[in-house]
Amino acid sequence: MLSRVVLSAAATAAPALKNAALLGPGALQTARIFHTGQPSLAPVPPLPEYGGKVRFGLIPEEFFQFLYPKTGVTGPYMLGTGLILYFLSKEIYVVTAETFSSIATIGLLIYGIKKYGPSVAEFADKLNEDKLAKLEEAKQASIKSIQDAIDMEKAQQALVQKRHYLFDVQRNNIAMALEVTYRERLHRVYREVKNRLDYHISVQNVTRRKEQEHMINWVEKSVVQSISAQQEKETIAKCIQDLKLLAKKAQAQPVM
Amino acid sequence: MNENLFTSFSTPTLMGLPIIIMIIAFPALLYPTSNRLISNRIRTLQQYLINLILKQMMAIHSPKGRTWSLMLMSLIIFIASTNLLGLLPHTFTPTTQLSINLGLAIPLWAGAVILGFRYKFKTSVSHFLPQGTPILLIPMLIIIETISLFIQPMALAVRLTANITAGHLLMHLIGAATLALFSISTSTALITFIILLLLTILEFAVALIQAYVFTLLVSLYLHDNT
Repeated sequence: MLSRVVLSAAATAAPALKNAALLGPGALQTARIFHTGQPSLAPVPPLPEYGGKVRFGLIPEEFFQFLYPKTGVTGPYMLGTGLILYFLSKEIYVVTAETFSSIATIGLLIYGIKKYGPSVAEFADKLNEDKLAKLEEAKQASIKSIQDAIDMEKAQQALVQKRHYLFDVQRNNIAMALEVTYRERLHRVYREVKNRLDYHISVQNVTRRKEQEHMINWVEKSVVQSISAQQEKETIAKCIQDLKLLAKKAQAQPVM
Repeated sequence: MNENLFTSFSTPTLMGLPIIIMIIAFPALLYPTSNRLISNRIRTLQQYLINLILKQMMAIHSPKGRTWSLMLMSLIIFIASTNLLGLLPHTFTPTTQLSINLGLAIPLWAGAVILGFRYKFKTSVSHFLPQGTPILLIPMLIIIETISLFIQPMALAVRLTANITAGHLLMHLIGAATLALFSISTSTALITFIILLLLTILEFAVALIQAYVFTLLVSLYLHDNT
């Protein structure tokens, strides 16, 4: 169709080309290139928000604009009225029974549309809005959950930064435990060694005591053996004499 | 007058060519389709209404019965739109012709019945004998039930035809009465015109109701037989 427009423009521009216009389309068909564009389905182009403006619900506004330069504002109305009266008077449109039923039907339709139109339109808009709101809700919920996950991740990362404190404490604990075990073992070694040494000392003590005792016994025995009977009598008599002397001395002095 | 009354029901021709096929196919052009999620108002309303009718009508069926959803939805939309378009002046309504209604009713009814007899023979045959009948009446009752079964498609078709045709004729007659009374006594014409208004409201309702009833009955036959 565009090719026809181009050709007619060319014909008006240069009348000599008018003959060429007659066999132009045929030549053009063979040279037409198909599928040159890049049709893509996304993103979908938006729908217009409002339809074309119409008057009386039937006649587009462009018609009135089209007639305005020549006939002014009342032009299309005069045209309409004239046409209707012409059809009626010449009985091109015959008034029959159907006329009245059509008046009834179309009157009822117009009344219904005028009365319930806006509410129905609002209902349709609400349906669309609800659909969008649900999808938006899903999207927002998804975004929020991901955001929450990100925040938690950040918190976890912050915690990880402070983990070395925990490790230090644990390291200290372990070092202390090791120290304690070492000291305990050291003490045990000391005790064991002391035990051994004490044993040796007590063995030595016992041996020496035994030797002493044995020696004393031997000495006593040999002394007792060496005391003859005569010496024994003389010693005992001397002891009795000493005792009597002491007794006299003791009685002589008063008790203090 | 006689010629005028019934010419609206004759097969429409345009310059001698029967254009009945185009007239039957025309209502489908009035239902826009789109790939979009959010469309314009008329498409949103259409989607909403079809969803509503679909849910309401196919809720009682089993999954096997629900394979008929497309058929039944197309049926109700076709009958409703042709009836409603027929209310406009000087239009031809296909559903006023018995041929078209029979063409709709017989295949659908036969499909439902044959489905029932093929897959659930015992249940379908048991429909011929209602519960709790006295033994002596059984033969007669079976004959009556068979007749009732075979009359179903006829009843469907004739019901739709008769209702729509009667409505159109009545509107035509009362319109003619208004026209005739217009020159005699205007006030009587006014009363008649008001009657015409009320009748038109009724006709709108009848158009929709008949579509609903037709589809509902077919769906009931389907339910019995799946």
